[in-house]
Amino acid sequence: MENNEAINTLNEIKDMMAKSSRFQSISGTSIILIGLYASIVSAGAWLLWGNHDTISWLPACCSDISINSPWRTKMAIFVALLLLLVSFGTVCLFSFFKIKRKQNAFHFDSPMRRCLFNFCVPMVAGGLLCLAMLIQGHYGLTSSFMLIFYGLALINCHHYTTSDIAVLGYGELILGLIDCFLVRHAILFWFLGFGMWHVLFGLYYTLKNKKR
Amino acid sequence: MIQGLNGINKAFESKARLGIMSVLMVNESVDFSTLKSLLSLTDGNLASHTRSLEELGYIQCEKRFIGRKPNTTFSVTQAGSEAFKAHLQALEDFLKGSTEQ
Repeated sequence: MENNEAINTLNEIKDMMAKSSRFQSISGTSIILIGLYASIVSAGAWLLWGNHDTISWLPACCSDISINSPWRTKMAIFVALLLLLVSFGTVCLFSFFKIKRKQNAFHFDSPMRRCLFNFCVPMVAGGLLCLAMLIQGHYGLTSSFMLIFYGLALINCHHYTTSDIAVLGYGELILGLIDCFLVRHAILFWFLGFGMWHVLFGLYYTLKNKKR
Repeated sequence: MIQGLNGINKAFESKARLGIMSVLMVNESVDFSTLKSLLSLTDGNLASHTRSLEELGYIQCEKRFIGRKPNTTFSVTQAGSEAFKAHLQALEDFLKGSTEQ
């Protein structure tokens, strides 16, 4: 009896510590969804603009896309920004509904603020770096920089939200680093990192939370 | 109740006080209304618990005004942090002791 009491007390303390310092309302479904968006967009870009001249349909053989005209560059930047916005919106919306369902009221509390801030710092830095590189005409490493900075942003905010998110971050980081060293595979890594890895992680995260 | 054990601190016996200390241990400072909603306590209840913890020197409070609204923030003191850690250690030791028996 006393034993249970002590265990309960310790668990309550742990829960309260997590609840008061971590943002815990990220929805697994939204992670799967943004993975699907990214998969569809990158597959579409590859089908439309990919280098299929080599005939081989194996993506690993020719998985880059040619963004060789000003129109294509503008289009690519526009689509990428739109995708970012829609994905961010999806995650926010799903979190919003999850919070509403849990506590019937929504307020922008300090764990949420801290999580968002720590996520945004590397994201904005990486975004500006990518923009600068595009302006100066260095296209080659854009996809790896996107993956690396996104991975770092996730790792940076894992103290302020569910710590599982670090797994997603390390995956993106590793894919980004491999992408740095392999030329002409940008869209493949983009597809794997932003698409597949999100879907896989989302599934794992949803199943894990369901078990609880 | 767990009584007569080494290191179990009477000051943390109530659920509300444990909650207050847990929140303050992981946050630099927390204001009154946040604490109230996290622990779902009433104004008076929270005020009396924070006052007694403050009198023991375990937490400190800072009162100021934001515009015309009074705003009180709490943070844990060095003594409070040590006392709470000792309390947790005592709970864990108690659990270990009882599983070994």
